[in-house]
Amino acid sequence: MTATVIDVDHVVAIAQDVFTAMIDGEPGLLTVDAPSDELAGGVHAWVDIQGDAPLRSVVSVGSQGADQIARAVMRLAPGEAVEEEDLTDALGEVANVIGGNVKALVTIPGSLTLPQVTIGGSGPLGGQLMWQAPLRWRSHRLVISMWSLENYGKDVTL
Amino acid sequence: MSLRVIVADDSKVMRQIVKRTIRQAGYDWDVTEAENGAEALELAKAQQPDLVLSDWNMPQMSGIELLRALSASGLDIPLGFVTSEGSPQMRELAASEGALFLIAKPFTADSFRDTIEEFLE
Repeated sequence: MTATVIDVDHVVAIAQDVFTAMIDGEPGLLTVDAPSDELAGGVHAWVDIQGDAPLRSVVSVGSQGADQIARAVMRLAPGEAVEEEDLTDALGEVANVIGGNVKALVTIPGSLTLPQVTIGGSGPLGGQLMWQAPLRWRSHRLVISMWSLENYGKDVTL
Repeated sequence: MSLRVIVADDSKVMRQIVKRTIRQAGYDWDVTEAENGAEALELAKAQQPDLVLSDWNMPQMSGIELLRALSASGLDIPLGFVTSEGSPQMRELAASEGALFLIAKPFTADSFRDTIEEFLE
C-alpha cells in the first residue's frame, strides 16, 4: 500500500498553532528555517500513527532548545531547574499534539501511540524518511520529520 | 459557577496546561488531577464530580474506556474529551459513546470557553 502523502506545509502550520497556543501565547515565534546539518545529540520526541500506511512524526530540537520549550510550557520562573522527567513530558506532549493533528490528515488512520522521547543520539531508528522541515523557534533550531513505517520491521526476502 | 472537575491526562505538563486554561477562561473550578483513566474512574466514584475532562490516549485505561466504565457503573457524570485527536471521525465516536464534547489540542482559553459555555447553561 502506498504511504499517505502528508503535506509538509500543513504540518508546519499545525506545529505553529501548537507553539502559539501551548508554548508562546503569541504567533510568529516558530518560523521556517534554511536546511542545515542533521540535528544530533539533542532531544527527539515522536509518536507513531499506526494502520495500513503507518507513519512516524518526529520533533527534534537541541538540548538548550528543549530546555527552553519545557520552561515555556511549564511557565517556570527564571533560575528554576527543569527536571528531566518534565523535559521528557513537555517534548513528548508537543510531539503528541502535532502527531494527533497529523493523524487527522490520514485517510484511514489506526491508533496513535503514546509519545516516546530520547535525549541524546540521533533519534528513532527505522522507517523511510519522507521529508524534514527545518524550523527555528526563538534562536533554536527545531526539525519536524515525517517517516513512513510501511515496511519497517518486516522481513524482506531477496 | 464553581464546579468540581477531574482532569485526566497521563502528561503532567498537559494537566498543568488544562488547569491554566481553565483559570484563563475565567472559571474558578475545584480541579483534581488523574494520571490515567483508571485513576480518574476511582476518583470519580469517590468524589462524584460535576465534570470529567479526559485525554483520549492514556496508559492503563484510555479516555474512551473511562467513559464506558463511568456509564457502566451507573455514574451520571458528564465527560468531555481534551485530546490531540480532533478529527471528524473521533468526534463522531466520542459523541456516539456519550461524551459531552471534544476539545481538540491545541486550544486557547477562548476556544475552551466557547465549547464549555454551551454545556454550562
